[in-house]
Amino acid sequence: MSKASVFYDRFERHSHGEGLKGHATHYCPGCGHGLAHKYLAEAIDELGIQDRTVAVSPVGCSVFLYYYFDVGNTQAAHGRAPVVALGHKFANPESVVVSYQGDGDLASIGLAETVATAQLGAPITVIFINNAIYGMTGGQMAPTTLMGQTSSTSPSGRNEYNGQPLKMAELIAGLDGPVYVERVALYDAKQRIKAKKAIHKAMKLQVEGRGYSFIEVLAECPTHLKMNPEDTEKWVKECMEPVYPLGVKKDLTVDPWFKRNAPCFKGEKILSLAGATSEHPERFCKGFPTHLAPNDISLKLAGSGGDGAQTAAMLIARAAISEGFDATHIPSYGPESRGGTSYADVHVAEDEVLNPGSPDPQVLIAFNAPSLVKFGPTVRKGGFVIYDSSVVTDAPVLDPSIKMFPVPFTGIATDLGKAVVKNIVALGALQAATNIFPKDTLLGAIRTALKDKCALIPLNEEAFAWGIKSVEALDK
Amino acid sequence: MALKERPKPFLLPEYCKGCGRCLDACAKDCIHLSDQINPLTGLVPVELDLTNCNACGLCMDACPEPYGLRPAHEGEIQDFELEDPAKLFGVKPSNAPEPVDMPSEVLPLPRTEPLVIKGTYASALGALLAGCRHVYGYPITPSTEGAELMAKFLPKLDGTFIQAVSEVATVNMMYGTAGAGLPTMTFTSSPGFSLMLEGVSYMIGAELPGVFVDVMRGGPGLGNIAPEQSDIKLACHGLGHGNTQAITLAPSTPQEMLDLTMLAFELSFKYRNPVILLGDGYLGQMTGKVQLPETMIKPGIPKWAVFGDAMHRKNVITSIFLTESDLEAHNVHLNAKYEAMQVEARAESFLCEDAEVVLIACNTPARTAKGAVQELRHQGIKAGLFRPITLWPFPVEELKAAIHGAQRIVVVEASAGQLEDEIRLALSKAGVNQFPEIESVRRMGGVLPQQSEIMTRVLGRKEVLA
Repeated sequence: MSKASVFYDRFERHSHGEGLKGHATHYCPGCGHGLAHKYLAEAIDELGIQDRTVAVSPVGCSVFLYYYFDVGNTQAAHGRAPVVALGHKFANPESVVVSYQGDGDLASIGLAETVATAQLGAPITVIFINNAIYGMTGGQMAPTTLMGQTSSTSPSGRNEYNGQPLKMAELIAGLDGPVYVERVALYDAKQRIKAKKAIHKAMKLQVEGRGYSFIEVLAECPTHLKMNPEDTEKWVKECMEPVYPLGVKKDLTVDPWFKRNAPCFKGEKILSLAGATSEHPERFCKGFPTHLAPNDISLKLAGSGGDGAQTAAMLIARAAISEGFDATHIPSYGPESRGGTSYADVHVAEDEVLNPGSPDPQVLIAFNAPSLVKFGPTVRKGGFVIYDSSVVTDAPVLDPSIKMFPVPFTGIATDLGKAVVKNIVALGALQAATNIFPKDTLLGAIRTALKDKCALIPLNEEAFAWGIKSVEALDK
Repeated sequence: MALKERPKPFLLPEYCKGCGRCLDACAKDCIHLSDQINPLTGLVPVELDLTNCNACGLCMDACPEPYGLRPAHEGEIQDFELEDPAKLFGVKPSNAPEPVDMPSEVLPLPRTEPLVIKGTYASALGALLAGCRHVYGYPITPSTEGAELMAKFLPKLDGTFIQAVSEVATVNMMYGTAGAGLPTMTFTSSPGFSLMLEGVSYMIGAELPGVFVDVMRGGPGLGNIAPEQSDIKLACHGLGHGNTQAITLAPSTPQEMLDLTMLAFELSFKYRNPVILLGDGYLGQMTGKVQLPETMIKPGIPKWAVFGDAMHRKNVITSIFLTESDLEAHNVHLNAKYEAMQVEARAESFLCEDAEVVLIACNTPARTAKGAVQELRHQGIKAGLFRPITLWPFPVEELKAAIHGAQRIVVVEASAGQLEDEIRLALSKAGVNQFPEIESVRRMGGVLPQQSEIMTRVLGRKEVLA
């Protein structure tokens, strides 16, 4: 009833608080905003939450809400107030956040944000001022403009080509997220008391952490309805209310649920999530494998999705880095990674991988015939081609300087009882064919990767050993 | 008895707009519209005759003005002369305290072995180590893995990851959390970044920090999901409407995805401005060696924040300055910040000291170009690479030094000249008009320039254009 202490004593932000503007709102005579402000301020006062409140000002006539409320204030882009409110609510779950919006803001440009935020259900309070017209931009049609109602963009009255007025309270109440939805009005003393109670309740539900509330306020805009304040009140009662029936649309009894712990800033926890360890991996290399390249080795692994080319590529990169070298792995990219061919570019460098692509690799591991046909001719002179002889029966003829290693990846893996280890057979073959790293380096990478599936380690070790044996058999 | 204790209404005519809502609220017919215009307001206020007033209070509930109809407290003089409203209502300046900075803490991290992770993951870890616990996003290839990692890790750190309804909602959730003074970020890719630009402009206008990791892909339109340096122009010159600039970082390795993400948070708070990190699709997917830092950040709350507590109650976050002179002053202030950001220009010069041919590239093409430089050096050609790490501000002083002795400049990029435009603009603004003709190796549509194409260009002087 009295001036709520939540209002500033002087509206400094309104024309720098000079003259009467220091104590008067910028709203036109008869406008509904002032009353909604007053009831909101009273609710904040009564609930003792002035310090915790963050009011989000929208775009529209109430863009300057922050002139008046002595609470934390933020001003949002057109239609985005509810998601700005969420950003505040999750930043400080103790804050009490109000998204105060008009009909253009909430029901037109911000419809996606409005519906998504309501459905998310996090406890914020949305106060929706529906006056059936655009106020700030000067009387254009709103999504809530009534059929037949004239506006500057529906000069002959809203008709079927402009669509029907949008009933937001019913729409929001139809969602599962909100706990409390009510439509109220301001046109007489009885309605004003209900409006005041509804706003209080919507704030209280948030304070108690029970959920999202939505209060639609049928408000008067005498200026753009081109009526005097008294006739506008009558118009809201007689014309708006039949389209937008007043009352509680949804009121769930929900236990308080919104409780969030303070975020964790323990370094050990992040390191553990990232899988970072202080343990030094054992090193086996005596130096960079310069017999393959002076300081940068380029490999390509190619097959079909499921062949394990990417895993094998990753293991090579990890093995290299555990030895103190640099390495990169670029997986095949784009639609072909979904099903069809799958290939990986890998580089191992003594100091720094300069160019991580492998358009002309020194080593190719091919898991099928199309990969061998496609990439075989790109292998550099003097390079290595290791391919699955279980599935490639007819290898293409490549430069005679290239060493060819037909190894039955699939055959060996199947004999071991698990076809998926064929990429590990391939890694064994790579080791034996190129001596890129000592056996223990690659085995170390394999064991580390399987540290959570220890039971699989012996099988993989066996697959690796068979890959080596197959290459050694070729040499004989 | 209770009724008698309730106060009757009281009104300063200057604060009455004459809407008349109180007229029918009064059952005792105490309120009438005046027959005179108030000379101060130009409006016709109501007049009170409280002879029959029973202090029901409904008129006060009906008055929309905070300083309109209000209770006449005991002893308050009702027929007064209006002087200073502050005197009349009592001087009650907002009792909100003067906020102070709650500084961030730098916490030690144990030294760990290098990780072998992809670029988007490295960036996500960088954000976590920079103290970010609020991530919002909308899935878009090829940036999605970053958001996925955040969705997995943040709940374990009592942080927040929300998959927003759109990129528009994403950037505005960031606006909210940044407004509360906390570090926040998103992962996106070109079409998504376009959608976020409205919010970026608002964040710049309202001086809010926030980090945008844009893993760029082929455009225009839906384009494709392959790597293109498609958003250099957007980040450097098109951050939404108005006078907007933001520091734009261009990493070229997974390690830099981590390091520059951490730097992005630092700069973002230092200047109260968003920072853009432009990656490319290759870099996002590329796995490499990533050494974690030896310290991490526990963020504080800056004094300007609207955190939603007593300390920060007086603050307001807004980008509106209705009076022209106020908005001009705000832009002058922003320009001063943009000027101050110039010191953040960073670049890497690789073998440029004696270079006759200077390649210029950033992101993944810079690595390809580095490979080409090494190959050219093997062939006896004095080649070097200049790699801008900040695209805005452009490291023009470093560029001038790098091309000092150059006879040729070759710009290698996965775009239709967006990097070259930055170079030309930077040189022009720096008053450098004499430099070798700029040659190009450009690919578009998700095709990256190959080392062989750079070699052909440099060795054969043959135009290599898609």
